[in-house]
Parts: sequence; C-alpha cells; structure tokens
Amino acid sequence: MGPIVVVTELEAGRVADASQELLTKSREVADALGTTVTAVGFGGQAASALAGAAADAAIAVTGSAAEVYSPRVYERALASLLKEQAPSLVMLSNTTLGMDLGAALASFSGQPMVGYCTGLSVQDGQVVALSQIYGGKLLAEVEVPVTGSIITAIPGSWPAASAGGSPAVAAAVAEPAPEVELLQVIMPESGGDVDITRSDILVSVGRGIQGPENLELADELAASLGAVVSCSRPVVDAGWLPRSRQVGKSGQTVKPRAYLAMGISGAPEHLQGMKDAELIIAVNSDESAPIFEVAHFGAAVDILELMPVLAEKLQGRAG
Amino acid sequence: MKIAVLMKDVPDLVEDLELTDEGQLAVDELSFIPSEWDDQALEEALLVKDEMGQAEVTAVAVDTGDVDSMLYTALAKGADRAVKIVGEFGRDLPNRARSAVLAEYLKTAGYDLILTGVQAIDDVDGQVAGLVAGHLDVPHASVVREVAVAGGHVRCLQEYSAGRMAELRLATPALLGIQAARKPPRYVTIAKVRQVTKSASLEEVEGELPEVPTAAVRRLFKPQAAGRAVMWEGDPEAVAEQIVALLDDRKLIRS
Amino acid sequence: MVLRTVLEALTAVMLLSSLALFGRRVRAIAGVMKKARPIVRTDRVGERLASVVEHVLLHRRMFRITFSGILHFFIFSGFVVLLIDIVETIGEVFIPGFTVGPVLATIVDVWDVVVLVGIAMAVYNRVVIKPERFAGSDEKDAFLILGLITAIVSGIIVHDSFYPFLAREVFHVPDPVARAHFLGWGLSRLWIALGWTSPVAAGAGYTLGYLLDIGVVFGFLAYLPYSKHFHIFSAVPNIFVRNLRPLGELVPKVPEESIAVRSFQDFHWKDILDLYTCTECGRCQAVCPAHAAGQPLSPKMVILKLRDALNERIAAGGWQEAPAAPALAGGVVSPEELWACTTCGACQEACPVFIEHVPKIVGLRSALLEDGEVDAGAQKALVAFDRQGNSFGQPARKRPQWAKGLDFPIKDARKEPVDWLWFVGDFAAYDPRVQDLTRLVAQLLHLAGVDFGILYEGEVNSGNDALRIGEYGLFENLAAKNLQALEKAQYNRIFTTDPHSLNALKNEYRKLGFESKVMHYTEAFGELVAQGRLTLAPLRLRATYHDPCYLGRWNRITEAPRALIRRTGVDLIEMPRHGTQSFCCGAGGGRIWMEEAGMEERPANQRIKEALALPDVAYFVVACPKDVSMFSASVTAMGLEERLKVVDVAELLGVATGLLQVREVQLATS
Repeated sequence: MGPIVVVTELEAGRVADASQELLTKSREVADALGTTVTAVGFGGQAASALAGAAADAAIAVTGSAAEVYSPRVYERALASLLKEQAPSLVMLSNTTLGMDLGAALASFSGQPMVGYCTGLSVQDGQVVALSQIYGGKLLAEVEVPVTGSIITAIPGSWPAASAGGSPAVAAAVAEPAPEVELLQVIMPESGGDVDITRSDILVSVGRGIQGPENLELADELAASLGAVVSCSRPVVDAGWLPRSRQVGKSGQTVKPRAYLAMGISGAPEHLQGMKDAELIIAVNSDESAPIFEVAHFGAAVDILELMPVLAEKLQGRAG
Repeated sequence: MKIAVLMKDVPDLVEDLELTDEGQLAVDELSFIPSEWDDQALEEALLVKDEMGQAEVTAVAVDTGDVDSMLYTALAKGADRAVKIVGEFGRDLPNRARSAVLAEYLKTAGYDLILTGVQAIDDVDGQVAGLVAGHLDVPHASVVREVAVAGGHVRCLQEYSAGRMAELRLATPALLGIQAARKPPRYVTIAKVRQVTKSASLEEVEGELPEVPTAAVRRLFKPQAAGRAVMWEGDPEAVAEQIVALLDDRKLIRS
Repeated sequence: MVLRTVLEALTAVMLLSSLALFGRRVRAIAGVMKKARPIVRTDRVGERLASVVEHVLLHRRMFRITFSGILHFFIFSGFVVLLIDIVETIGEVFIPGFTVGPVLATIVDVWDVVVLVGIAMAVYNRVVIKPERFAGSDEKDAFLILGLITAIVSGIIVHDSFYPFLAREVFHVPDPVARAHFLGWGLSRLWIALGWTSPVAAGAGYTLGYLLDIGVVFGFLAYLPYSKHFHIFSAVPNIFVRNLRPLGELVPKVPEESIAVRSFQDFHWKDILDLYTCTECGRCQAVCPAHAAGQPLSPKMVILKLRDALNERIAAGGWQEAPAAPALAGGVVSPEELWACTTCGACQEACPVFIEHVPKIVGLRSALLEDGEVDAGAQKALVAFDRQGNSFGQPARKRPQWAKGLDFPIKDARKEPVDWLWFVGDFAAYDPRVQDLTRLVAQLLHLAGVDFGILYEGEVNSGNDALRIGEYGLFENLAAKNLQALEKAQYNRIFTTDPHSLNALKNEYRKLGFESKVMHYTEAFGELVAQGRLTLAPLRLRATYHDPCYLGRWNRITEAPRALIRRTGVDLIEMPRHGTQSFCCGAGGGRIWMEEAGMEERPANQRIKEALALPDVAYFVVACPKDVSMFSASVTAMGLEERLKVVDVAELLGVATGLLQVREVQLATS
C-alpha cells in the first residue's frame, strides 16, 4: 500500500497548525493501515520546516515558481508527485489551497474526493471519514478507498502533532506555469480598525442581525461588556462591517475568553475561526443551527430582542 | 468574450433536513433554491459583462429535476443564453458526476471564462469549480472575487486566511470558483421571470451519465449532542439573566 | 365712438390670442392623457357631483388649515363672483347702455374687498407665517399670480370709477349702477376733485382700468396652463374624477403586463391630470412621515418634478420617447425619494384636489425594482416572501407554532368548517415579540366561545407590502396561494389581526375574485362585547390610541377600535393627529425592512413624543402587530419604559376579561 501523502502549508517558515493536525491524524491512520506518511511542502523553507515533521518521509518542492502559492504551479507539481508516489490517501486542509488543489487533483487523477472532513478512522480495515455537509447541519459517513483518494479536512478537527520526527527530505523542482501569474500578494490592512484577535470578549454578529441599522444593538452590547464587535462572512459581504472584523476561514481566527455568537448559524467556515474560544455563548432563533454544536451555552431567542435587554442588564451591573 | 456560469440548486436550509430510515436525505420533502455561491457567480459574470460592454453570459445547469425556473431567472437577470444539459440525471446526482457532465459539455462549447460558486452545501465533494477544472485541465482558482477581464486575460483576487489575498492573472480559458460578487446578487421581479419564461427558450444539450470514482456514503446523520450547548429556555429577559450570571461567574463583567 | 371700436377690437384680439394659447397648451396635455393607460373615473356621476360640491364649493379639505382655508375661499369666491364684472364690463363696451343692475354691481364691489382681504392674508401667510410646506414651491409664481389678481381687482375699481364720466361724455348712455359700484364711486370723487372728468381723461382712465381688468384676465387665461394656477381649471375635473373605489385598493384591475412606470404613457390619464392640478400648497409635504423624518421625500416634489419633466418633454416635442432624457424612476425622481415612502397615504388624504401620490410612487418603484435597484433589506424580504411565504425567512411549517402552549386546540379551517376564520398575518405569527399577543387573541376567542380556525401553513403573507414595494407579480403569487387555501376552507366570516392583511384581503384580492367580507379584530371583538359574550371589568385608565394607516386611513375603520377601547373602561385621550389624519409609524410600504439612511428622527419616535405631550396618558394603545414592534422599540430606545407603555387593544381586553393579570398597577405618570 502506498503512503499517505500530506500536503502541508507553511506559515512563517514553520509547518502550519492545520497541517500539523493532518500529520497527527495521518500517522494514526497510517499505523492502522500499516503504511507510512509522506509530507510534502513548497518553497525554499520547506526542507528545514519538514526536517522535524512527524512523517516518515518528506519532499520539499523548490524552485522560484514554488516560493509563493500559485494554483497552477502547485497543482502541476503535486500531480506528478502523486503519480510517482501512488499514495493510498492524499490529505489537504480545507483552506483556499486545499479547495483549489484537492478537487482538481481528484479529477486529474481519477480519484474519489471527500471534502469538509472532520473525522477519519479505520474500521475493520476500511477508512471511514466524517464529512460536514449542508452547512454543518448533517454529517456524512463515507467509505474512503485507499486508492489515492483525496481528503480535505477542516482545520481544527484534530490536535496538532505533539511529537516531531526526522524524515529524510527529498527534493523536487516545480515548473513555472505562465498561464496563471501571481501579480501581487495583498496583506491585510493593519491599523485603522480594531484588532479582533486581541479582544478578550467578542460580540459576534451574523445574518440574524438583519440589517446595518441593527448594528447599534451589537455596539451597545459590546460597549457594556468592554468587548469588540466581530462578525461572520455574510455581514462583511453585505458591506455592513469591514473585512477586518470577519471571523472564520477567510477572516481571522480568534481565541477570546468569551465569544458571544449573535444570530450566527455556524457554517463550518465560521466555526473554524472561533471554536477554540474559552467560552462560547450562542443565540440564534433557529434551535437546529450548527453553532449550538460548538457553543457551550445557547438559547433560541431573537437576538434583536435579546441584545438590548442584555446590554441594559450589563450596564446596570457595571454602573 | 464568452462567459459560462455553472449553476445548480440545493436544498433550502431554512427547512429542516429530514432523513429517511436508511440515513438518506428525504429529497422529496425539500424545497430547492439556487446555490447561493452560484448566484454570486452569476452576479459577478453579469457585472463583468456590464463592465466589458460586449460579453455573452450563458447560464448552464444539469437537468436534475426542476432547474428551469433557475435558468429563466438567470435570463431575466441579464444572462444572454441558458443551457440545460438533459439526460438520465436524478435529484441525487453526485457533484462528481455533475462535474464530469458539465466538463463534457464545456470541452467543445468554446467558453473563454467559466464561473461557478466556490462550493455547494450538498455533497462531500461540493467543489464543482476544481472538479470541472481538473477535467478540462484549464487554469483555475477558487475562493476568488473581483473578476476583471482585460487583454485576453482574467484578473481576480484569491482569498487566504487572516485576510491575506493574492491578485492572480489567468490565461483564458479559465475557471473560477467565486466566493462573493462585488455587489449582492440583483433582484429580479416575478413578472420579468414570467415574461422571459414566455419569450425565451432554454437550449437543451444531451448529456450522458458518466462513470466516476466515488467514495460511498454509508449514511447521513444529524450531529449528535456530544458537545452540544447547554440550552437556556425562556424569554429574552430570562436568557439575558442567565448570560449575565454566567459572565459574572467567569469574572468577565467589568465593575 | 372711436374708443368703443378700439376697445372692441382690442377685446377681440386678446380673447382670440389667449384662447389660442390656452387651447394649444390644453391640447398638448390632453394628448398626453390620451396616450396614458385607461382607468374608469366617470361612473357614479351623482356621487362625483356631490364630491365636487363638497370639495370645491364648500372647501371641505381646504378648511383643515383654517387661515389658508379662509384666504383661499375669499379669493376662490372672488373668481366666481367677479365673473359678473367681466360680463358687465365687456357688455358695456359692446352693448351700449348694458348694465347688470345695482344688486349685482354692489356684489362685485363687496367681492373686490373680499378678494383684496384674501390677497392680504395670502401675502401675510407667505411673508410672515411662512409654513414649511411651501419649501420647494415656486414662490415667484405665487406672488406673480397674487399680483395679477390684485391688478384685476384694481382694474375693476379704476374702470368703474371712470365709467360714469365716460358714459355721460363719450358713450352717451345712462349709468344707473354708478353708486352701486361704491368703490369706483368713491374713487370718482377724487377724479372730480382733480378735474379728471373730461372725455379724454375719462377715456384714458377707463381704458387703463379695462386693460388691468379684462386685459389681465385674458393674459391670465393664456398664462394659467403654464403655471400652477391651472388648478383653477383642472381642480374641478380632477375632483370630479377622484378615486371612488375602495381607498386601500392600489391596483384597480389585473395589469396587462406590469405596473412599472417608465414613461408618462405608463401612468393612468388621471395621474397626468394630477400633475397639472397640483397647486404646490405643500399640505402633502406637511403630513409626510418620511419628510418629517428628514428623508429626501416630499410628495409635493415628486408631483412637481414629474410635471416639470413632462413639460420639458412636451416642449422638446418628443415626450413619448425622450431617449436622452433621464429615467422617470431613478432620474427625475431619485431612488432615495421613492424608497422613503411608507405608503401611509397621508399625502392623498391631505390633498385638497385629490391628487393620488402613492400609486405613482409605487409605479416608479416597480420600474426601479425591474432594473434590480432595490434596498438590500427589502430584497431579502421579497426573496423570503417568494421562497418561504413570509418576510422572516422562516419555514412555512413554523407559521402555526405560536399556538404551542395554548391549552386548547385551534381548528384547521382547511379541514373542518369554522364559524370565524382568522387570517393571522406574518408578524403576529412569527415575530417573537408579538406572539404573546397572538396567543392572547386566541384565548379571548376561546373565552367568548367563538368557533374559530386558522389556515395553518396554508397561509402566506397577504402580499400587501410586496405590492407596495412594487412587486405586483409576487403579490399575485402570494394572493394565489392564500386564495387556494381559502378555497379549501369553510367559514362564515373572516377576520384578521393585521391591518396590512386586512387591506389586501378586503381591497386588493377583489380583482382576483375574492369577495368575502373581511373584518378587523377590533370590529369582530366589538360584536362579541356587544353580544355579551365577553364580560369586561372597567380598567379605569387614561390612554391614547394610534390609528394604523392601513386601518384608519385606507379602510376608514376608526370608530370600531375606539368604541372597543372605551368599552374596556379606558378614558381615551386623542392625539392631535388621529383618525384618518393619523401619523404613520414608519413601517408601511416595506419600509420596515429597509435601511434608515438619512433618517434624522424616526416617525415612530415623533409619534411617541406626540403622545407624551398629552396630560397624564400612560398607555399608548395600538391595533396592529407592526405597531407593537415599532412603538415598543421607540419607547425602549427613548428610555421611556417607565413613562409610557405600548399596549395592544387585545391586552386591554385581556386585562378587562381577567385573562391577563395587571403587571404594572400604576405607571408613574405625574
């Protein structure tokens, strides 16, 4: 049986947390299947980053084209690597990179694909994945063939590797792909707005806020708690709050002492950014909203009605 | 510039998802709406068309039941053509097979730019953009917005975590998985859709159900209450009391 | 006799040229009206004539503002009475010795005084009082017209003052009414003193007066159709062709294509006549909640902008096409103006000449909507109506969930016959802030032993708001779903707790073939109380009552709720604006879902202030679920919970019947 190939992402020269989680889980599955784990990384820093990774082997893909993520370059390099490796499973994170590469590699290589994976185990020799679908409202239990199936896992599904390893790092070179050109990398604007990752308490609003005119309710509640207002993606897309306030996959990952999710249904992309908060209180009029799966406390009432009452009570306390 | 927008409909999550005894979705009980990311992709395509002046936007859907109204709505919003791929396709057509059907059509249809939603909620491999791109072997990018066409190239922004982005330039034909349009999808009146339904027609293209690699879904189930929140009952007044008491207990209230 | 000939010739020339100018203008306007959409407005002639008497001769609406009413009545009556002078003056030039007799001559001079007093009052009104409602009106035109009227009246006095000399010295005819024209007679004493009684002086003086009078009258005739004073001619027909169908019916018959207004041809002909009837008095602006809230809408300016745009297009020759001209919706009238309207109808109610503002605004909204230009919040509501049948975006099957927790079952009227069918409405069914009230209404019905039922998930939003956002197609779809459910149901009468649903069921569903009598719950409960099926212990408190626009103004149901409130032992104190003159909460016409950009002070807050000014009133009674939401929010936002409590009529009944315990025994009011 071929190895489990883990496509890692680097962050500041280190293997990213999400990729560490993949390595941990892959190790467990590989042990159960009796195979090995091969970590793949990209860029000049990949060799050193992977040298201590919890894998049996590692491949650092280098070359000027591989320094910064470019969908076509990475896809080409991985396609040829996978051909060589004939893996049993290919693991990616359900990040932008994973969403770009996972599906395309699956159809390139004629392999099944399982996205939004939050659980992976081997039962009677069969690899079984749990996958979140319908915005997290349902879980699918999927039998994954070990023919090279592609799995993209939601970050935060498993603990990151505690122990490292010392794999031999092989080298590969990525070919440039002029048909997709990276023009520039845009870093998030700093300053100007508040940094939601630094706040102890976040009052986070979602679609349930209904309209920008209701944001003042959230502002008042936040003021009464000394908190900062953050939000889920739809609020940013509607233009009601700036992108810097967004929690989730394409926004910030936050770990406040308390996270008050107001009118947030809890799509997997959002949960990814906040589920490690120390205390999560969720309020949503839909009692079947997935947010209640990660929240510690919850209530199914109307936030527009709750927020003013709550703010008032808190002001009474603070005063 | 010929632009295709791949569209599909998905169950409306406003309704409860009921499961059959066999752990499958009770499809007949559901109401379907266009996948929200596909709607975003259509809007972005129409905005690109507005900007360019002369582009042709075609909405494309696989006929898995009742997709006509979705396609007529796309026409009413401003799409120039609508293509319905017909064949032996059921409501439960997996995305993998859907992608192969779409790719088969797209191979010869001669589009310069193909847009679709970044994902769909209804399958373990709902990422149609990547799946179709793999079949077509064309430049592609997912999680993108702000699409612009200039000089035979396509520019867009690709989003990463923590607000980081990259500006990409792709040679055509290219395929993009749209995260969000620049503007919220436009409204179209019922009367306009009705009128288009009378005056316009959908182009039907034959498609065949392909053999695709699958990972068998054993069952679907609702997440169990393993880590489920402690739910507070009562009116907002009572809930607010509970929250205050809890925050107080955790020493989170300023005094 | 040369003078007589000259005056005759002059008169003929002036008459013909002013008629030509007048005719040309009227033909142009009539041309537009002919091309506009048809509408039946010439039926029920008796009622129409009666309404002309009431609103033209008796000035019924004009007198709502006393000072303006009086001054206008003075000037208006002058226009009628002084026709005598025109007959007399032209008569004495063309027919030697013609006279109207001493009585009519005296009347002319009396009305000279009346008109002059009216003009003085008008000038005082415009210069000193300066009501805000004139903001945006053409002040110059107003003063020009007042000047012209002054000129006419002066002319009358002047030519009357010289006529005795002219009659004697030049025309050689008797002037038996010289003294009856007491103003002219008085002035003639001055001419005698000055020695200006020679044939030449008399001829010159008379000619001057004649030109000031008859010349200006003809000039006026030619100028009128180009100015706001065309209402002198158009007001009477416009009042005659006013809407006599149910007020709340926005669209009288199923439209052939769409209700969108993109060109002037898309208006009804009455809409075009409206544009030329507006006198720019601004009474609509003064009562408009959007205007009062600081939003960019003024109903008056909508009419004036449309009129000016049509005038420009007529002048340019191609009003039908006007491809280069700005779009009516979004160009001539801005989207912000159009979306600010709550469709409360206060403007139409205030208009002395029965201009219909709301259908025009909705038609223009519809054009914006067809172009995809709509407020995001309103769009969300429309999509939710379409998909889920309610504005909350909640599943249809959750509609009857409010009934959970009642200790008796509610019949499904689709499955078993009921006496009363209750059309619950969205807010009452879904808004958690209103559901308690909805349960209370059910308990009251149960207590009264009424055999009632609901349509369960067969009910969808009535479509009243969708229609007023401009989405006729969606209204039709929603109505079809409701009618389908109603078809299945067996009931003797239908009532609703929601005025917006009431309006749709009662007025808008008629064109779709639904003719059942629909009642508001205050009417229905009034009957129950009258029949002794609910026993009420008097509450003994002072309260004011807010008329919901779609109950009071659009459906004229103002007495039933008041009678019911009084039956609960409440001492009802009226706010200044009440009944059909009520002030909108700001929620109607889809506003409840739209952004409040540019809002300086919410109409609901202003309304609460109006109630606060009443002595010792601690309860603000409403009869509409949206009002419960809107006004409770205002009271909370203004920090007035201890001072004023928003209660529904049902709550008063709840306490009076003993179903509800009084939570606050007495609010601190003094």
